[in-house]
Amino acid sequence: MGYPEKYPAKYPQLNEMEFTDTARRILIRILRVAFPHEGFPDGPYERQADQIFELANESTWFRIKLTQGIATLNDLAGGSFLGLDDQSATKVLKHVEHTDFFGFIRRTTILNMYEDEAVWEVLGYEGPSFDRGGYLDRGFNDLDWLPDPRVEESDEPFVEVVSDLPVPSRAAPGADQPTGEAAQASHPGLASTTADQNLTEDN
Amino acid sequence: MAEISQDEASVVIIGSGAGGGTLAYELTRAGIPVVVLEAGPHLRNEDYMNLEWEAFNQMAWLDPRTTSGSWRIATDFPNLPAWVVKAVGGTTTHWSGATPRFRAHEFRTRSVYGRVEGANLLDWPITLEDLAPYYDRAEKAMGSTHRHGRPPLPANNNYKVLAGGAEKVGYRHYATGPYATNAEPYDGRPASIQDGFNFQGDKNRSKWSTLVRELPRAQETGLLDLRPESQAVQITHGKDGRVDAVIYLDSEGNLHRQAAQVVCVAGNSIETPRLLLMSASSLFPDGLANSSGQVGRNYMRHTTGSVYARFEKEVRMYRGETMAGLIADEARHDPSRGFVGGYYLQMISLGPAFLASFIEPGAWGREFTELMDAYARTAGLWIVGEDMPQESNRVTLNSTVQDRYGLPVPDVHFDDHPNDVAMREHAYAQSDRVYEAVGALGTHHTPPYPSTHNLGTSRMSERPEDGVTDRWGRTHDVPNLFVSDGSLFTTGAAANPTLTIVALAIRQAEYLVDKLRTGGL
Ligand SMILES: Cc1cc2nc3c(=O)[nH]c(=O)nc-3n(C[C@H](O)[C@H](O)[C@H](O)COP(=O)(O)OP(=O)(O)OC[C@H]3O[C@@H](n4cnc5c(N)ncnc54)[C@H](O)[C@@H]3O)c2cc1C
Repeated sequence: MGYPEKYPAKYPQLNEMEFTDTARRILIRILRVAFPHEGFPDGPYERQADQIFELANESTWFRIKLTQGIATLNDLAGGSFLGLDDQSATKVLKHVEHTDFFGFIRRTTILNMYEDEAVWEVLGYEGPSFDRGGYLDRGFNDLDWLPDPRVEESDEPFVEVVSDLPVPSRAAPGADQPTGEAAQASHPGLASTTADQNLTEDN
Repeated sequence: MAEISQDEASVVIIGSGAGGGTLAYELTRAGIPVVVLEAGPHLRNEDYMNLEWEAFNQMAWLDPRTTSGSWRIATDFPNLPAWVVKAVGGTTTHWSGATPRFRAHEFRTRSVYGRVEGANLLDWPITLEDLAPYYDRAEKAMGSTHRHGRPPLPANNNYKVLAGGAEKVGYRHYATGPYATNAEPYDGRPASIQDGFNFQGDKNRSKWSTLVRELPRAQETGLLDLRPESQAVQITHGKDGRVDAVIYLDSEGNLHRQAAQVVCVAGNSIETPRLLLMSASSLFPDGLANSSGQVGRNYMRHTTGSVYARFEKEVRMYRGETMAGLIADEARHDPSRGFVGGYYLQMISLGPAFLASFIEPGAWGREFTELMDAYARTAGLWIVGEDMPQESNRVTLNSTVQDRYGLPVPDVHFDDHPNDVAMREHAYAQSDRVYEAVGALGTHHTPPYPSTHNLGTSRMSERPEDGVTDRWGRTHDVPNLFVSDGSLFTTGAAANPTLTIVALAIRQAEYLVDKLRTGGL
């Protein structure tokens, strides 16, 4: 009879999305296409998809966007997104790149998928290290394809100001009169000496 | 630990980070009782985690903020303009440790750079000579390597790449510091174990922070009343225009009032002006200490950016100290490069979780995953250079968005100045040269992260109409109100700010001790 409380019942897929296998398979495929890492096993992608569904269950807005987005992908794919090869699937995702649907998936994945041990292993990151004594005895300096550099500071003099502007010399140590000098530097004649900087105007 | 009555008009410091924590220590050790109100919890080193996002969520200031302006942060991280800490010790618990000093001319940019269109440059009311003795004390307190007999840290893998490239392109001023982390045991704390997690708090306590040094020592004097989870929301004043108390929230949202003889605000450069603006009254209609209109303005964040370079062979940049290495050659004023001021190139490393989020916000697809797949073969650096103060770069109260207590959130407006853009482009190109000189297969230019250096919003000035505080950090308008953090910076210089914040706080403490003794407040 169209009462508001019946609204969800009219769209069963909204509530059931977490249970459909197809939706899950499509989401995993989206993740694989949007974040293609040949070396990654399925685990990180599957965990990521499940986390996205969990978040969708907590937010109505995300849930309807996710449902609608997945449906749109199938339309854009001319039937089945799952049937597309990598290149065509990427093209379809390009189409939806600026939607809330894709933005939510992208953000959630960026923020989570790379703090996963299986991912670290493939990328060559070793994770928490304090409990293992840091890297002091585990290769913090094991790079051997470059010479060992100097770690001390150089003795060569450091030139702090390289300028054609006459550097105002201090009247006397302790005579602290910046306003006087500022007034001097804003003098047209002085400022014009740096007009070639394109940033300094002489008035 | 002292317990100071809420009715006792005391010295009240707001914030326990670089500025507030240092001030608390210097005052208590001179015999002055102090209340420190700290918005965040009292985390300890053993609470910290070796996981990037979990540590971030544990430590960072996550209360909502808004952004506006043309900076990319407003698009990519609209509610995270800054990367700062809400916990005892402030952002010194998150920081990495680079401690270069300002150069003499960087205190006098208006005089040395001349007039720069659109920039609100001003000479500092103090000089390098004024600050030099306090720099010495700050470096000793913080245990900066390469200074006062502290040995350098060894080269880690990321540094080998940076320094190797620097040498090949003809740079000379590269080194593993100065860096405020122990290369050998010092000041009761152990040497670095090169665990690579100093952004996450440093469980090992080798890194200086006010959490490991100033605050426990202040507590040992028996004169510090440190109140975590106490967020100041207003500074009140009497008819005479002198501040008389601080109103603050506890963790349950109850309001308290601490009577004050002197108030020192050190909430970092976004919360400090927010608090001054929230303390507006009929006597101070535009906000406390804001007769100049400069409270919240001239917000600076340094001209930054990162470059990540991919190599054929492994680097494993994440092993070892995160930022112990810099190139200083470009930190000079040389307008022939097309911009005023200078910049440092400092090595940096992020784990995969942070790198994925920050290397190219918004990116996906193969262009993105190729960067991540090269993780173990990647070296990284961070650009940090002087940005131009601009009046329109500004922290204001957002009247339409409120935090969970119903307080207006701060809005951070920022546009790059053309000088900032020119400097960043130059730095990207030089970084490419450095890495290509040692065989980089490709480099990626990463845009600025949410601001880790927040400066300038209550700046020091000789004349009251140009800024908020005098040369001691005492506000021009209110004699017993001080600002004690990076908000004081008249201009930003190329150097990372914390050493200078600490030096200024030590100097301010000396002044305060003297005034409290002689009744000059
Ligand atoms: C990842 C990272 C790396 C960094 N690396 C470096 C580096 O190598 N070198 C360098 O020089 N700098 C570095 N910095 C910057 C450095 O941490 C800051 O410059 C410095 O901590 C700022 O000091 P502060 O006193 O201004 O503020 P903070 O140290 O941020 O302290 C402010 C404190 O005030 C509290 N507070 C705020 N508002 C209120 C309120 N209303 N009531 C009560 N308490 C309040 C906050 O919770 C916080 O604890 C880094 C920062 C980050 C995030």
